[in-house]
Amino acid sequence: MNSCIEPDTYVILRLPSEQLRIVEVKPDTLITIPKLGSFPTNLIIGRPFHFTYELHERRPDEPFSRLRVVPANELHGDALSSRDDAPDGVDDGSDEPETGAQFDIVADDGSVLMRNNRLTVDDASRQHLTHEEIEELKKVGTGSGIELIKTIMASHAALGEKTEFSLAKYTLRKSRKYLKRFTILPLDVTNLAESILEREAPKIMELREETVALACAWSNAHWSEGTGEEMTGRWLVIDDSGGLVVAALAERMGILYEDKTVELEDGDDGAPNEADANPDYTADTTRGTEPNEQQPNEANPAGETPNGHSTPRKPPRPRPDGLPLNRSHPAAMSATTNTLTLLHPNHQPNIGLLQYFGYDNSAPVSSHPLYTHLRTVSWLQLLHPSEDPTYIEPDVVSEDTLAAMKSGKRGNYYRKRRRWQRVKAVVDETRGGGFDGLVVASFTDPKEILKHTVPLLSGGAKVVMYSPNVEPLTEVVDLYSKERKAAYLELKREPETKTTQNGGHPESHDDDAEKEMDADFPVDPMLLLAPTLQTVRVRDWQVLPGRTHPMMTSRGGAEGYVLTATRVIPHSGAVEARGNASKRRKTEASAGPSEVDSDAGIEARAKRGKLETGSEMEVEV
Amino acid sequence: HPSPFLTPPPSAQAGTLALLHLRRDHILPLHLSPSPTALANTRFGSFPHSTLIGVPWGSQVLSYNVKNAPGDRGSGVSRKRKRGEGEGNQAQGAQVAGDAENGDGEGEQREKKMEISIAGTGFAHLLPPTPELWTQSLPHRTQVVYTPDYSFVLSRLRVRPGSTIIEAGAGSGSFTHASARAVFNGYENGRKEEGSTGEDRRGKGRKGRVFSFEFHEPRKEKLQEEIDAHGLGGLVTLTHRDVCEEGFCLGTATDPTTSNNNLDTAPNADAIFLDLPAPWLALKHLSRRHPTPLNPTQSVRLCTFSPCMEQVTKTINTLRELGWVEITMVEVMHKRLDVRRERVGVAEENLRGGIGVPKDVSEAVRRLREVTREREEAQAKQIANSRRRREGGGGGEGKGRKGKGGGEEHMTSRMHRREKMLREAESRKLYREGRLVHRTEPDWKTHTSYLVFAVLPREWTVEDEERYLVKW
Repeated sequence: MNSCIEPDTYVILRLPSEQLRIVEVKPDTLITIPKLGSFPTNLIIGRPFHFTYELHERRPDEPFSRLRVVPANELHGDALSSRDDAPDGVDDGSDEPETGAQFDIVADDGSVLMRNNRLTVDDASRQHLTHEEIEELKKVGTGSGIELIKTIMASHAALGEKTEFSLAKYTLRKSRKYLKRFTILPLDVTNLAESILEREAPKIMELREETVALACAWSNAHWSEGTGEEMTGRWLVIDDSGGLVVAALAERMGILYEDKTVELEDGDDGAPNEADANPDYTADTTRGTEPNEQQPNEANPAGETPNGHSTPRKPPRPRPDGLPLNRSHPAAMSATTNTLTLLHPNHQPNIGLLQYFGYDNSAPVSSHPLYTHLRTVSWLQLLHPSEDPTYIEPDVVSEDTLAAMKSGKRGNYYRKRRRWQRVKAVVDETRGGGFDGLVVASFTDPKEILKHTVPLLSGGAKVVMYSPNVEPLTEVVDLYSKERKAAYLELKREPETKTTQNGGHPESHDDDAEKEMDADFPVDPMLLLAPTLQTVRVRDWQVLPGRTHPMMTSRGGAEGYVLTATRVIPHSGAVEARGNASKRRKTEASAGPSEVDSDAGIEARAKRGKLETGSEMEVEV
Repeated sequence: HPSPFLTPPPSAQAGTLALLHLRRDHILPLHLSPSPTALANTRFGSFPHSTLIGVPWGSQVLSYNVKNAPGDRGSGVSRKRKRGEGEGNQAQGAQVAGDAENGDGEGEQREKKMEISIAGTGFAHLLPPTPELWTQSLPHRTQVVYTPDYSFVLSRLRVRPGSTIIEAGAGSGSFTHASARAVFNGYENGRKEEGSTGEDRRGKGRKGRVFSFEFHEPRKEKLQEEIDAHGLGGLVTLTHRDVCEEGFCLGTATDPTTSNNNLDTAPNADAIFLDLPAPWLALKHLSRRHPTPLNPTQSVRLCTFSPCMEQVTKTINTLRELGWVEITMVEVMHKRLDVRRERVGVAEENLRGGIGVPKDVSEAVRRLREVTREREEAQAKQIANSRRRREGGGGGEGKGRKGKGGGEEHMTSRMHRREKMLREAESRKLYREGRLVHRTEPDWKTHTSYLVFAVLPREWTVEDEERYLVKW
């Protein structure tokens, strides 16, 4: 999906102000960028990503601008002309090849002296152009905005007084304001998150790229391959970030993007052109030389290409009922390996962000990998499935009655049966546990989440919890503290008579004691190993010749914390004390001439329990 | 063997890697040996491999007492030695007890049979390997790229299942393992086949690969052993080479038949990670010019990992000259936090982990009152004593008794208080008391390296542009 801009997808435009803007690439329409202008979508379809374009001066008869690719050496002109290995002030940029495109104002004053700001007068009056005059200049429309910036700079009375640094800053500021450029970036999880962080960070729980990356790495989520009939590669996820965490995990599991490359690359399109080995990708500077080639505008929104080109674009058209288009398609949520199971608090999961990746949960397309690989289960379905109407089997109707039904009603009947089958299969499988990892990004009380989900994990599975604030996670670490584990073991050992071997929780006869037990140990502290709390933050730097330093400002807000732990199977736990695990171990042990019989094993365990709570305790934290 | 990193079987298997988690940040990698005498000796006891094989992942495993361990000269202390048999896995750091005859099967027979029994103390947890745990436990050969850095790098480089990544400066292999997991989308079958290979390497269903380069031969050999032992051989192609000199296309640069843009020799990379002392010297080999190691059909992303600013400046200057765009430089700052309960109060005075300072002003006042009262009482006693002495006479003797008596008095009240506190503490739930606090861990890595990122868009010719103008 990094290859080129595909029709009917979303891309991100980065504007000179560093703002990111999500736009849909609908063929034969116009993309309008406020203050910059508009251009036909067709001018970017099929083109590579990461090109920076400049909007051309609008022609009088056209409602849009044409585009020019800004070559890299022009983008770096400023930095390259003031290389710090060049002698100071001598390399004043006058030897730049395309003077028209450079900000040679920066270097035109070419003074050899290192200036300082002792004498600068910071006053608006030093800029001779008035606001109205600038607006007038903008209207006259000098294409890329470079001319405008030059004019503004030339009208500054004291440009010569500015130091190199302040001049650079001034140029940058003006460029951001007036330059008519934009860069096209692919819409992937990182870029999407970045663009949302700018505007509505709380919507994605203020998840920064580095935090998502760290959390996903620790979750060990990756593409998994089926090993026979066993279900493998199943991750459990709880996501209050609108689907960002689901998307990030799906990206790492290779189930986020629909592979459309074959459809688009007609023939061996992508092969490098051996004839043209020019390393500079300077495409022609003018586009659309024949105006009748493309006349897309609002007047023709239906998307009929005027030149009659039938292009191989296939906008996904889901069936409104969200069912497979035909029988040959696999059923929804039917994948057994490499799956994500989303636990959600409402009837429908809130994963709206997946729409940017072509997956609409209310009307999923069956060709999308998430159609089969994303399962959704509500808390009610997980904990009390019998109370969920979709889990209850609809009445079976006899063939005769079916035949007598109207087709609509019959379809309805089949749909209900299919939905029930799907819900039952997914819920039962989720309740069966054995997940390979748990990723939580939620505002819900972590205690309760862990209480219900940790038992669903298989041994060695990774647990990752994200929280914008540290406090909820410190509480979790505390629930699994060394001291609490020791107390828990002690408690379990003491009231041996009262303890029944039930779910690992010693049950007490009286209610108060049970309540106290729940308050003291809301979760079984023995089930997670080495909970670790961490936080990560990336610091951006400006690297320019002689002007390298960390960025002066950056976004504040939530720091963002990640808790990681491993699900373990405690040895002395009531669950498996005599179960398969220890039995198997003993048979293995007997391969060596061990004298261990089962009684000795139990005795040793009891002894260990005692020793553990002593001062030489080795309880893992 | 499928890799235990990518498709771990449900339990630990002989002949594969397992991690013995002893305590936080103390993980022992074990290449489980089917030999009944293979042992992992740790400070938490001995763990015979035979007791670990077949155990479900995540299990808490007990340590064993070992009698007649091979190489054990009757001293009762088993000698730590690497087995000849497990030679390929010495790098795992496993302390495997070998027999005196260095892995000779007959030697084992001659010795008394090893006996094991559950020790009663000491345990560990048996975990399946992940790149994160491996990073914590791997044998260090060079500076390791840690999880916060590599996770961010792989994210910025958009390394996903099916991607191809070049890594130069494989070093200790932590990044190699992480990128193998990131690109994995199955193993390539019949890669050698002509014709179909080309399509597979580019189009749909392309299998992810890691092309790794290391210019230090012994390090390369060690890493190759690890990669093979970890079942990653099908994903990672490790080459001993100085990429600054020879570039990234496999085959020798002097031989024109192998250094052309043949898909078998060109990595066709989507992403590049350079952990080199002078990354700018390698950049000239990463152009779109023929023969290119880069994927010609898409934007290629690059990351360099350098600890010093001078390296960064040189790298970025070169990148700008070579036409890379989206050049950014960042550093990743990572902290791990300790969480504990801070118990403050007079009652904590004699308890471990407590701070015996009054928890609030009223408690301070209360204690002051108490102490004042005690002191007054003592004073009153003293006065009474001296009065009695004055009345009864006998100076020197009484003086000595007075000092001693006052001290005892004080001591007993303190001891009394202490005992009372300890008694009370037994019924207290200390794990729930106090204020929950967190702080940065004592050892904080404040700088790892500067990360430079850049993008090289695909080539776009005038012809391409014209074709698309017609098409759209």
